[in-house]
Amino acid sequence: MTVRTDTADVLAAPVADDHAAVREAAPYTNPYLAGIGLGLVLLAAFVIMGRGLGASGAFKAFTAWATNLVAPGYAHSRTFLADYLSDPTTSPLNDWLVFEVVGVFAGGLISALLARRVRLGVEKGPRVTTGVRLLLAFGGGALSAVGAAIARGCTSGQALTGGALLNLGSWIFMLSVFAGAYGLAYFVRGEWR
Amino acid sequence: MMAPFFKFGLFGDEASLVVAFVIGIGFGFFLERAGFASARKLVSQFYLNDLAVFKVMFTAIVTAMLGVTYLSWMGVLDLSQVYLVPTFVVPQIVGGLVLGAGFVIGGYCPGTSAVSIATGKLDGLLFALGLLGGTLAFAELLPHIQGFFSMTSIGTTTIPVYFNLPYGLVVFAVVLMALGGFYGAGLIERAFAKRA
Amino acid sequence: MTELVLTRHNAMIDPLLHAWGWEIPVYLFLGGLIGGTMMITGYILLKGRHRENSCVCSVLPLVGLALLSVGMLALFLDLEHKLYVWRLYTTFQFSSPMSWGAWILLLVYPALAVAWLVRLPAFLRVGQVGRLADALAESPRAIWAIGYVNLALGGMLGIYTGVLLSSLGSRPFWNSALLGVLFLLSGLSAAAAFVHMIAWDRTERELLARADNIFISLELVTLMLFLTGLLTSGASHQAAAALVLGGPFTAVFWVGVVGLGLVIPLVLQSLAVTHRTLHSAIVPVMVIAGSLVLRFVFVYAGQYSHWL
Repeated sequence: MTVRTDTADVLAAPVADDHAAVREAAPYTNPYLAGIGLGLVLLAAFVIMGRGLGASGAFKAFTAWATNLVAPGYAHSRTFLADYLSDPTTSPLNDWLVFEVVGVFAGGLISALLARRVRLGVEKGPRVTTGVRLLLAFGGGALSAVGAAIARGCTSGQALTGGALLNLGSWIFMLSVFAGAYGLAYFVRGEWR
Repeated sequence: MMAPFFKFGLFGDEASLVVAFVIGIGFGFFLERAGFASARKLVSQFYLNDLAVFKVMFTAIVTAMLGVTYLSWMGVLDLSQVYLVPTFVVPQIVGGLVLGAGFVIGGYCPGTSAVSIATGKLDGLLFALGLLGGTLAFAELLPHIQGFFSMTSIGTTTIPVYFNLPYGLVVFAVVLMALGGFYGAGLIERAFAKRA
Repeated sequence: MTELVLTRHNAMIDPLLHAWGWEIPVYLFLGGLIGGTMMITGYILLKGRHRENSCVCSVLPLVGLALLSVGMLALFLDLEHKLYVWRLYTTFQFSSPMSWGAWILLLVYPALAVAWLVRLPAFLRVGQVGRLADALAESPRAIWAIGYVNLALGGMLGIYTGVLLSSLGSRPFWNSALLGVLFLLSGLSAAAAFVHMIAWDRTERELLARADNIFISLELVTLMLFLTGLLTSGASHQAAAALVLGGPFTAVFWVGVVGLGLVIPLVLQSLAVTHRTLHSAIVPVMVIAGSLVLRFVFVYAGQYSHWL
């Protein structure tokens, strides 16, 4: 296909080099302003839907759908996945959180394109190789899925949503997340700095 | 009482999925605005030189909490109709610790990994694949830990209900705690900035 | 349900309520995309832009040929009696969109091939073919003719993909003459997005992005007119429109087609052509995917709709 000189820019092709000024990424929004925006979105979810935000549930529904596609017998034999497959007339992807996370992708893309922050790349510290970083990202993702499954929700569905509703379990969960992350941070500092 | 609109039958299940998409756009937009598509920005929270995670999260919690409180006091929002995740004390402590570990190792949490993929981060994609793998592993694990998974269940409850405190008092305490936290966060950031 | 069982549960009346699987939407999508590709190629030839070195017209007809072959394969896979396919070409039935389609598709191959000859790569410009290619490129009248043939055939192909559905009177959801226009615009916008994605010349990329914004806007208007038309028609048509206005196809239509396929790309591309954001390859991909989802929603919802 096309030949582009700047390999980091496959996703966000530069218009031309004379637009160099346009290419610089905008700084992040003030955290308090972004937080108010996020809080208003959460409030809208409460008022319109009577539920909060979430993320891990969408990945769970997607896993149930994909497993059912490849090995339907296995998917139905595991209660954790079979919960999504009980109604044969509808797809597990016909789920509120799945559509919400599709929106999260779109919203993230819109914001990042407006701020010129779309770049193909890997986020890591200077002392770790890309391969190790990708392996750790996968492992961290797997751990997060297990943690969210045990706790019945992730940072969005539990900490953020339940936090605003003063849900007892959500505050317990939130404090544990920070405790777990701070407790381990020292041992994985080589990955980030 | 007229809200939550969905619970009062203003629109159906299919339309609620369109609402989910629009709300998701707002969610993803502000996560990205805050810089949460970047793993390095997120984990800086745990090395104390950039506490944006704490600031954004608690500003959002306080904003939504005050909104919910006022709307329910004004009689617009029926709080009893808003879904609460049931509390399981020990599983939620353990789950939190495991997710926290996954956060600092993987660099994201489930929601922020979606945003990071949208901005082209390969590690975000691997994190999301890890989520799928972890879900499969947990589905395999669940029958063996069923006892632990459902222990210390105390149903749906909130801090004011469980400790028998006035709702407004807890809201006020959380606001004070958040304001104190924001002030402290500024101090901590300045103290650790040199080491960044 | 009782009524359905008593009056319609009969293989002679409704032999198959859901006869079309993935093949037909894929084919309709590819047909529209090829139609759009041909119209863009025709426009470029008529404007004389093919003489510019960086012109995407050197690969566009070849892409069209490849997609056409995939689309024909999907169509062939859908046939019940595959070995009877040749019979389509023993007759021409004026009132049958299927017959029109079969012949248009047969003419599209040579039209695309000749358009490709105009900018044939140098390593293929040898012998007889090379001399023909040179002669075509030198003759303004030949270019003019190839341009118009591609423009006209592309338009016919795009419209035919919609008429194929709208001529089936037993499905109220398809019962609108706007389908031809809608599918033509959707194909044009997908083709413009495709060129926007692969063009290596900045002027060309910007031109197609601007054109795509116009196509997407027109498509949105046509979609709204289409729904208005159904809603202001009889009860069966209103029930058909309800399939995407609260019914089982609501979410995929408004999220997959309107949101991700039209509105968000329109906003992002409008900002990109005015240099307030960067051009991104993801946006054209969203437009093309939305165009595919549009065909799936229309084919499936149409088969779901019925006379009351």
